[in-house]
Parts: sequence; C-alpha cells; structure tokens
Amino acid sequence: MSSSFFENQDAARRNTSRLVVLFALAVVAIDAMLYALAVVLTGGQVDRVTGQAELILDWWQPELLLQISLLTLAVVALGSLYKISQLRAGGHVVAEALGGTPIPTDTRDREERKILNVVEEMAIAAGLPAPPVYVMEQEPGINAFAAGFSPSDAVIGVTRGCVRQLSRDEFQGVIAHEFSHILNGDMRLNIRLMGVLHGILLIGIIGYFLLRSSMYASIGRRNRDNSGMAMLAIGFGLMAIGSVGTFFGTLIKASVSRQREFLADASAVQFTRNPLGIAGALKKIGGYQSGSLMQSPNAPESSHLFFSQGLRGGMQSLFATHPPLDERIARLDPSWQGAGDTVGQGASETLAAGAAGFAQQGAAPAEEAAFPFSPDGNAVHQIGRPTLAHLDYARKLVEGLPPEVVGAIR
Amino acid sequence: MLIGVVGIVLVFIVVFVAVLVGVFNKLVALKNRYGNAFAQIEVQLKRRYDLIPNLVETVKGYMSHERETLDAVIQARNTAVSGLQAAARNPGDPAAIQGLAGAEGALGGAMGRLFALAESYPDLKASQNMQQLTEELTSTENKVSFARQAFNDAVTAYNTYKQSFPAVIVAGMFGHGQDASLLEFDSEAIAEAPKVSFG
Repeated sequence: MSSSFFENQDAARRNTSRLVVLFALAVVAIDAMLYALAVVLTGGQVDRVTGQAELILDWWQPELLLQISLLTLAVVALGSLYKISQLRAGGHVVAEALGGTPIPTDTRDREERKILNVVEEMAIAAGLPAPPVYVMEQEPGINAFAAGFSPSDAVIGVTRGCVRQLSRDEFQGVIAHEFSHILNGDMRLNIRLMGVLHGILLIGIIGYFLLRSSMYASIGRRNRDNSGMAMLAIGFGLMAIGSVGTFFGTLIKASVSRQREFLADASAVQFTRNPLGIAGALKKIGGYQSGSLMQSPNAPESSHLFFSQGLRGGMQSLFATHPPLDERIARLDPSWQGAGDTVGQGASETLAAGAAGFAQQGAAPAEEAAFPFSPDGNAVHQIGRPTLAHLDYARKLVEGLPPEVVGAIR
Repeated sequence: MLIGVVGIVLVFIVVFVAVLVGVFNKLVALKNRYGNAFAQIEVQLKRRYDLIPNLVETVKGYMSHERETLDAVIQARNTAVSGLQAAARNPGDPAAIQGLAGAEGALGGAMGRLFALAESYPDLKASQNMQQLTEELTSTENKVSFARQAFNDAVTAYNTYKQSFPAVIVAGMFGHGQDASLLEFDSEAIAEAPKVSFG
C-alpha cells in the first residue's frame, strides 16, 4: 500500500477532473433549463381567429438559445469574478480572520521553533519555498490549514492543539498534507468552484428580486395584468433553477474537496515516505475529545481548507468537505482495524454530540466532557457495571491528563 | 521533382536539428536540476557540521570522561566536511559521492553512540541548551534526508532520460557519458548500530 501512493494520487486526480467536468455540465444544464423557461414563457400567444390564449412551444430557436446562453454566462461570470476577487485576498488575510498570529522566523520558543523546522523540512521535500506560519492559540482541536491563491502568497496555519497533541512524525504528516494543497493548487481550484457556485446563486437571487418586485407591484393594482404574471413566472423559475443549481453545485464541490483530501493524504506520504505519521495524526483526531473542531466564527467560510473536518454536523453527509476519518486512515494504513482503538462509529458520534472540548489544553476535561453517569439516585446501580460509554469517558479522561502526570503514574 | 526531393531533405534536416537541440537542452536542464538539488543537501549538511562542535561543547561539561567518543565524533565530522567539499566540486562523480556517503555513515554511527551515552546523563538531557540542540539536529537531519530524496529523484530523472531513446544515441557526444549516481548514506550506519546495554 505504501508503495501505491502514486496510484492513489492518480486516482484522486482522475476523479477530480471527472467532477470538474460534471460541474461544467451542471452549468450547461442550468443554461438548458433557463432556455426551456424562456421557450415556455415566449410561447404563449393569442390566437388571432378564436381570440383564445394558447401555448405554442418551438424547441429550436437558435437566436433565443444564444441570447440565453450569453446572458447566463454573463451572470455566472459576474458572480464568479465578484466572489473570486473577494476570496483571493491572499493567505494571510484568511489566517488572521481565523485568529492566527504569525510566528516570527527568529523565534526562541521551543514549540514554535519545532513548527518552523517541520515546515522547512516539508518545504524541501515538496520543492516549494517555505511559507509563513500562523498559530491559532485559541483552538484546542487538532487541525491545520493552507490558504492563499498561489504558492507565492500561501500561508500555513496550525492550531495550538495540533502542536501539543501530535508527535513530531504525526505533525510532519499534517504539514506535508497542507503542502500538497499548496503544490496541487487546491485552494485556487476551490476558490474558482466557489466563484462559479456564487454565479449560480446569483441567478436564484435575481429570481428572488423579480418575484418580490412583481408581488409588490401587483399589490398596487387590482387586476394582475399579463406582464405582472410573466414577471412572477420568470422570478419563480429563476429562483427554482438557481436553488436546484446551487444544491447540485454544492454537492459536486464537496466531492471535489473530498477527492483533494485523498490526494493530499497520498502526497503527504510521498513527501514524508512515512504513512504512519499522518495516519497517527488522523487516529488521534478520532480519539481526541476536541477532535478537529474549530471554534473561530470565521471557520465555516474556510471549512474546505482544513486538514480535517473543521465543523460539526454533516460529518458523514454528502456535503462534507472531508472524507470520513475511518476511510482516510484505512487508505493510509491498511492494517488498521478501526476497532475500539480510536475512531469507530461510536466515537465519531460522541465527538459530534460532545461539548466544545477541553477547557484549555487538557487542563480540566471533566466538566466539559459528556458525563455518562446519571446524577440522580441511579448512580448506585451503575457501580461495577461499566458500559461502553463509561469506558469511552474514562479513556478521554486519561487522554486529557497532562503528559507529565501520566508519565509520573507509569 | 528535384525541388521536391530537396524540400523533403531540408524538412528532415530541420526536424533532426530541432530534436538534437531539444535533447541537448533537456540534458542540460536535468543536470542542472540535480546539481541544484545537491546544493540543497550541501546547505543542510554544512549546517549539521556547524552544529556538531556546539553539541560536543555542550556535552563536554557533563561527560568529560567520555573523551574517546567525543573525539571520534569530531574526527568523523572533519572527515565528512572534506568529503562534502570533494563531492560538491563534482556532484555527478560516483567516487566523490561514495566517499561522502562513507564519511556520512561513519559520522552517523559516532553520533548514534554519543546520543546513546547521553541517555545515561539525566542532567544533560534536561538542559535547555541540549534540548534546543537536539531539536535543531533532528530537524537538520530530516532536512538532509528530504533533500537527499529530492536529489535522488532528480538523478533518477536525469539517468532515465539519458538512457532512453533519442537521448541515448547522442548523450555521450554531448558530454553526458556517465550516469549520475544516487546518494545513499545509511549502509554503514546500519551496519554499526550503536550498542545500548542495560546493565
């Protein structure tokens, strides 16, 4: 398996190109739907002889098709350009929005020195310049991100939890994963997809405004005339097409994002030649109370950038920006059974349902963790009958202890 | 008729020259790439050689009666420094690369023995200076191995291109007769793994 990281990379790249084609097809489908809407709306005619309204549908109107296509293209392009200009501000803007502070290159702090050293090592392995590094002091979860439009303005951010909880090899794997995002231009790809998605959203927004304005306009008049009805129909149609398009676009974008994660995992193995490092980091995320969750209010906008799922909810769903931990670990470490060891389904659920995590770097986990002992009189009956939940809780309690304490006990 | 034949011949000559120019340029580019990759290793190895006297200086205060081991480290380091200088002058030369690899292996063995000894000096391990030096040495060693990985990849790309079809015919003529050699450090270090005894 470890020798097949090149194959894994190729597979992920192939899947990405397929999905990007699908994304382009989605835009074409939206264009087709808009054309259909236009055909239906322009097809209404009043028969000169009988004076009755009838619908004549002519499905081949090249001129109309061209007009609609150009209009769709213009709207989508406008929306994309707006969004892309917003997003391509450069990595440091994102890092600062997420609460990161830059590490000075001449730092004397041992932990920060280690971070910079590992980043430099991976820069050599990936053949890229070493980017500036940001630390998110407030985040106890294990996570990291790469941001920036191109390698020249890229930055890498790591959470304090990431540095504290992971061994050097595991941390190296995480950083190598982020370098793969920079090297493969994943941030650029994502920003472009987000741009087009925004353009599709714009179609829906235009529809919404048309609907609203025609409704306000019709309130003033007593009898709705035809143009009012047409406006209503156009608005409704645009809204429907826009939301369906956004739905499928988001779905495809999420799959692209998941493929890029697999690619980055495989590339991390290529750079470090050590699949167990990054697999270990993923296992720790699975077993760790705070997991990889981010607390920054700005995290949702950048969820796709992270090393591991940064947001709660949608863990297994189609909209997740990251593949399930189990699957990522299994690809890196085929001998892994997933049994009770770390993640497993149960632990993921506890993770999602659990509280925000350790108060501060594993200081006092007891209050925050999901306490499985019922506080009422039943406590007596639970003595000597530990359930899975209790074991899980005990394990997390031990994990939360500072390493010095654990070392002293042993 | 004659014009047609001359035209065809001319086209052939133009295509032939274009291919030759392409092969020549690609060989030069690949050779420069592995040269550059070697420069990266050189930077990291130099840094490592600069750190070792600091390490010995720090360690001396704690383990003064392990003179032999310390001297062996310094000696191995000096041999490696001259090996690196020889290899840097000609990164494609197999003999120079082998010399450097041997010296590096010996240095790795000596360092391994030093660190194994340091295990039995808790004060030394706890010292701020030693911890910093250990981190820097670990990182530098990692950088050396990643740079070596990149160098070996570049050498492999060069050799593969040189040995494949159009290039294999003309590589010798263009001064690319000899294959570049890969850089392997580990052989001797593995053979001479530090012995740790639990007395």
